[in-house]
Amino acid sequence: MGFDVTLGQYYETGSVIHKADPRAKLFFMLFFLIATFVAKDVHSFGFLTIVAIISIIISRVPLRIVLKGLKPLIVIIAFTALLNVFWVKGETLLVSFTVIPDFWRVDIYKEGLINAGLMTQRIVTLLAATSVYFSYATTPIALTDGLEKFFGPLKKIKVPVHEFAMMMTIALRFIPTLIDETSKIMNAQKARGADFSSGGLIKRAKALIPIIIPLFISAFRRAEELATAMECRCYRGGTGRTRMNELKMKFRDYVMFTLGALTLVGVILLNIYANGYKV
Amino acid sequence: MSCIELKDIRYSYGKKTPYEVCALDGVTLSIKENCITGIIGHTGSGKSTLIQMFNGLMKPDSGEVIIDGENIWDKPKEIGKIRYKVGMVMQYPEYQLFAETVKEDIAYGPRNMGLSDEEIEHRVSKSAHFCGIPEDVLSKSPFDLSGGQKRRVALAGVMAMDPDILVLDEPAAGLDPRGRREILGGIRRYRYESGKSVVIVSHSMEDMAMYCDRIAVMSHGKLIMDGDCARVFSQREALLAAGLDVPEISNIVHSLREKGIFLPDDIYIVDGAVDAIVNYVRGNKNGI
Repeated sequence: MGFDVTLGQYYETGSVIHKADPRAKLFFMLFFLIATFVAKDVHSFGFLTIVAIISIIISRVPLRIVLKGLKPLIVIIAFTALLNVFWVKGETLLVSFTVIPDFWRVDIYKEGLINAGLMTQRIVTLLAATSVYFSYATTPIALTDGLEKFFGPLKKIKVPVHEFAMMMTIALRFIPTLIDETSKIMNAQKARGADFSSGGLIKRAKALIPIIIPLFISAFRRAEELATAMECRCYRGGTGRTRMNELKMKFRDYVMFTLGALTLVGVILLNIYANGYKV
Repeated sequence: MSCIELKDIRYSYGKKTPYEVCALDGVTLSIKENCITGIIGHTGSGKSTLIQMFNGLMKPDSGEVIIDGENIWDKPKEIGKIRYKVGMVMQYPEYQLFAETVKEDIAYGPRNMGLSDEEIEHRVSKSAHFCGIPEDVLSKSPFDLSGGQKRRVALAGVMAMDPDILVLDEPAAGLDPRGRREILGGIRRYRYESGKSVVIVSHSMEDMAMYCDRIAVMSHGKLIMDGDCARVFSQREALLAAGLDVPEISNIVHSLREKGIFLPDDIYIVDGAVDAIVNYVRGNKNGI
């Protein structure tokens, strides 16, 4: 089975992006995210693509790995692109053909093609950049630590930020464990002649029972054991809890923050430029 | 006769990633029929990966797995049949129990084989007997049992498929001494009464010395020794070099030999040692 995928596929290369403070990465991605939605045309999208490519190069994560991560989303990307091709109406009609006379005619406009291209580019750059910054170059633990700090101010209005972060850390921590467990149980049941890949829907769903029940039982057992272990080490929630690795923003992190802001500013300027200096 | 033959098996985990680990590095091994073969090795030496090759749960990157004269990967569609031929009990098998009653759980394998109800009934009671599961436990929920009992139920679930070869990964791990004896004793009884071949993976030298006829030693993905117990355990230095222990009795005999008391070097169980020492003492007296 394709269980080689580990969520949070951290890929160590020791690059600057790997070493950066997760908060800097969060801010950078926030700017990048806003920028992709602000971007309007070829110029600004081209700029964002270049930023994404440079990020990949700096992170030293092989392009093959990044593209492999995008593979499962090909269907969604293709679907979005097709929707745009067939349904966006514009001024320049390129092709027009009749599928069913008097009932269904397909018109493809130049604007539709451009839109499809831009949409694809938007999704691909965004996903590629997010996966590089968050999955490949940041360990899940660092990411949740960063998120906890990032949303820290919300503690003032009694949002249990620490508890959420802890829940996320634990959830992320146990994904590989549970995947591991699933494949072990699957192997054990396969060794007893279980067959997961033939028969109709109902038969297949039934074949899953011998996996799901043991999986749930072991998940509950693990949760209980973990809770006991945490209590034994006097865990009482976030108040007064100190950290072994304090997050500290360094010079390079501020540089990253600034670069993120500059990306956004660049996109806005390009938008204005493309509109003929009209705001 | 050998019932499973492995030829130059290679396998790595996490191929094409920075985490690539070579688990099996050209293993050639034949498992003899009608005996209990023990596979010993340090944690991470590739034992568990190796036995998952036996029934096609894993496909080797290269090499052949030959059962009954046929490479099992020649017909990948029929790999399911191999799994009925080679019964596999995984590590901590108690975590794979799922059915409402013990009986139903043991019947899961036979039912997948498409056997008749009477045959299933017969097999369930037979394997429950081998594993020492009392009649009244059969109608209980498997989740109400103790750890040792659960282990036995899981074992019975595989035995009920009546495989030609029974493969067990650490069947006694995490049990108390009595639980170990019961499980391993049950396996030995099964082996003698059914005449089937058994493979046990373990890193307990004592257990292996007690229950196995042959031993294969794994280290860093390679097979470093293979032979009958006496031969393997007499190679004390090589075992220690592989980071393994030798049975306590071998150690005692070795110390005695170092002190100049001449005993044979292939003693690895208590009974053998007692005989050898008695003989030695008698021989000395007669000599004087």
